[in-house]
Amino acid sequence: MQKLKFVLNGKCVEVEVEGCARLIDVIRENLGLTGTKEGCGIGECGACTVIIDGDAVDSCLYPALRAQGKNVTTIEGLAKDGRLSALQQAVLDHHALQCGFCTPGFIMSATALLNKNPKPSREEIKNAIAGNLCRCTGYEQMIEAVLDASGQTEIDNDSA
Amino acid sequence: MSKIVNGGAIGKSFPIDDAALKATGELSYVDDIKMPGMLHAKVLFSPVAHAKIKSIDTSAVKALPGVRAIVSYQNTPRVYYNSSGETIDVFKTECVFDDTVRFIGDKVAAVAADTAEIAARAIRLIRVEYEPLPVNIDPENGIKEDAYVIHTNGGLASGNLMETVSQSCGDTDRALRVSEFVFEDTFTVPAIHHGAIEPHASIAVFDATGKLTVITSSQDSFAVRINLSRIFSLPMSKVRVSVPAIGGAFGGKVDMITEPIAAALAMQCGKPVKLVYTRKEDMTSTRTRHAMKISLKMGFDAEGNILAEDMKVFCNAGAYASGTSNIVWAMCGKFFKVHKCKNLRFTGYPVITNTQPGGPMRGFGSPQVFFAQQRLMQKAANALGIEILEIQRKNLTLPDGIDYRFDLPHGNARVLDCLEKAAELIEYRTCLKEQKESKDKRFRIGVGIGVGAHGNGMYGIRTDITAMILKMNDDGSTVLFSGSHEMGNAAITLQKQMISQVLGIPMEKISAVAGDTETTPYQLGDYSSRGAFVSGKAAMMVALAMKEKLIGFAARYLNCELEKIVFKDGLFIAHELEKTNNTDAATIEDIVQYARHKEFTELICEVTQAPDAAVISYGAHIVKVSVDTETGHTVVLDYAAVHDVGKALNPLGVKGQIEGAIQMGLGYALSEEIQTDKNGKVLNPTLKKYHMLRANEMPKKIKIALIEKGEPSGPFGAKSIGECSVMPVAAAVSNAISNAVGCDFCDLPITSKKIQDAIKNI
Repeated sequence: MQKLKFVLNGKCVEVEVEGCARLIDVIRENLGLTGTKEGCGIGECGACTVIIDGDAVDSCLYPALRAQGKNVTTIEGLAKDGRLSALQQAVLDHHALQCGFCTPGFIMSATALLNKNPKPSREEIKNAIAGNLCRCTGYEQMIEAVLDASGQTEIDNDSA
Repeated sequence: MSKIVNGGAIGKSFPIDDAALKATGELSYVDDIKMPGMLHAKVLFSPVAHAKIKSIDTSAVKALPGVRAIVSYQNTPRVYYNSSGETIDVFKTECVFDDTVRFIGDKVAAVAADTAEIAARAIRLIRVEYEPLPVNIDPENGIKEDAYVIHTNGGLASGNLMETVSQSCGDTDRALRVSEFVFEDTFTVPAIHHGAIEPHASIAVFDATGKLTVITSSQDSFAVRINLSRIFSLPMSKVRVSVPAIGGAFGGKVDMITEPIAAALAMQCGKPVKLVYTRKEDMTSTRTRHAMKISLKMGFDAEGNILAEDMKVFCNAGAYASGTSNIVWAMCGKFFKVHKCKNLRFTGYPVITNTQPGGPMRGFGSPQVFFAQQRLMQKAANALGIEILEIQRKNLTLPDGIDYRFDLPHGNARVLDCLEKAAELIEYRTCLKEQKESKDKRFRIGVGIGVGAHGNGMYGIRTDITAMILKMNDDGSTVLFSGSHEMGNAAITLQKQMISQVLGIPMEKISAVAGDTETTPYQLGDYSSRGAFVSGKAAMMVALAMKEKLIGFAARYLNCELEKIVFKDGLFIAHELEKTNNTDAATIEDIVQYARHKEFTELICEVTQAPDAAVISYGAHIVKVSVDTETGHTVVLDYAAVHDVGKALNPLGVKGQIEGAIQMGLGYALSEEIQTDKNGKVLNPTLKKYHMLRANEMPKKIKIALIEKGEPSGPFGAKSIGECSVMPVAAAVSNAISNAVGCDFCDLPITSKKIQDAIKNI
């Protein structure tokens, strides 16, 4: 067992972990934050995405000890004082989730994008969430939500 | 957005009921739930395709510290069941564990241990001796006279043939004989993975009162309860199935998969047991869309009118029956729903083989039907020299259309409207021009049409009912008790919309208890596109019953004749006072308080809704693709999808269903296939190798329109969309690629490699 100290959603946390522990397990099991989901365990679906020092990362592939001293944000860290982040609100407004299982990972990928690039283009959004598989939405309403959260509205004459 | 006070909830867009919980990570799915003393389970899956188990040695497992329960065929009930609620009383071919394994990935034994790691280590210590049996993965071989019979249980028709599904109308043979032109071809479609991002998972608890509670990600909790009750010989009062959340289903969570294993382990050790499949386990040992081989013959006259259609299907059921029977019957049904043609014949052969079982999946056999049918129509159009849009116009059924087998109306069938609108949206003529102009270029443009249909519930097939209870709270807010499961399709949301619309109660004042066999009344299950048409209507009916009840109390409260009560904007008003004096009006809250304190009555209503019609939903998709003739790579440039939904109850929800279906259908058309070796071993059991479409692989443009001309028997005119929306996709895309390249693609998925090979052979 080794001591792991890092900042999780703005608060310093300290846990004892096995050397081989995955970050997702530390977050879900040791720290009890189950918003981060596991859909494949090998970095192919993106459901477990968290933000580490600004970058969207698959926490199922990430060795927990590598998070030593780093700043980790999970889906639970986005709403402030009970208020949803602009992207979370846009996700509701645009019907950008259905079953919701991929949603935390998608929101974390898109949040990382918006933090770096506040006005991303459609293509940039698609590429930023290309690692997040979704079987429900066809991604379109997700993209619309990200555009809305970044203050860009699309004139969409084609939609119902 | 949700503050609609009166009469305005239908036709407005609302987020999924639990969207805020999902967007914040607060919603607990099965794998997020922890219980005191909970154990973790792991299953040992068969590495061989077909064998009798000679022996299982678990002595090394028992010696491993932390192991709490071990189950196999030796210590679990040998009760045969059908895992699929739709066919729960027939073709019972499966046990929790059997002494015979029938596909690579079949369940052999399971262990519950203090940690998942110990459980994983434990199953590697189980020694199993297999006595090999003959292996067959091909349905056509499976019905040969000398084929080894895989099941002795289950009441199959003969050998490995489950039954022959045979339906017809008119005189197909004669019509084919007299047709000026007859076209035929054979089509193959692969098994595919449902691809729900949440793998199968359940937690079983067997408590000190002898009660089994299973917390699971199921879209058919009442059927799971029936099966568990039968398997473990427990009265239903001692079995509870509860669904906290579902991380995607698409039919893949109709069947009981992990539930009986977790239950058997929990019952053995008396501790809660959690069983969560890995992605690989999900892709190799659960259920798939059925692989099929479809032969189709169509007779035409010179004008392009279809005179006869004759379809023959070999369906690979896989190793266990699951819902295969219903799926073949359902695909058969759709064959009779789209064309004016009076001479139709369908023959289906579902055959048991040694592959992963096929099971329910969004569309229920119909994407297969429409792929074959729409492809052959395109081929016929090319040969006849008549533009396919014209052929479609001549042959599609009309609003007064009927199913000629039983003279049963299709309902308000607006498929032709869908087609015309789709052609307009995508600018069909321009697309055709581009197709023609790119004929000799490296990047070829192709445009393709796909038409599809799907049902609305199981009227006439099974006892199709949804019961609901509505209870008023002291302050005029209300609680709905619904057996529906929120799969992400906004099922509960639209039920609330119904209640809001009828009772004028704002959405935020309606809460719901759902997806629990103990706390909600029975419903058939969330499959067969029942959500809007059957369960949605149940919500409308229970709200109407409550309205009537409220008016009865309001009459006494306002001291006014019943007929003179007007209910408007959430207020009960004695009619003659309506315009002059609203102080004699009563709110719902007033009535609830009056009923309680003066008449000692709580306001609770229940209804059972059973549909009385088999109406059909339709859709037409037109797609424009670009095919790189050097690499075979296909890019979807433009996509128009138009659906006949009767009435869009929640427009953004409908749009989301269609866009999601396009993702699923594009994968079916272009990339998705569960590849197996000659023993049925899955060769691509990872999401990367399997390849579902990602955000940056979706069409550049998707244009969606809805035909809202009302279905008289639907709630507020609505009919289904979730399943119907996936039907036309593969048909449209395969036609577009075939038109771009100039050859007929008859086998899904149409990969770059297949396109390259086809181009080489031109």
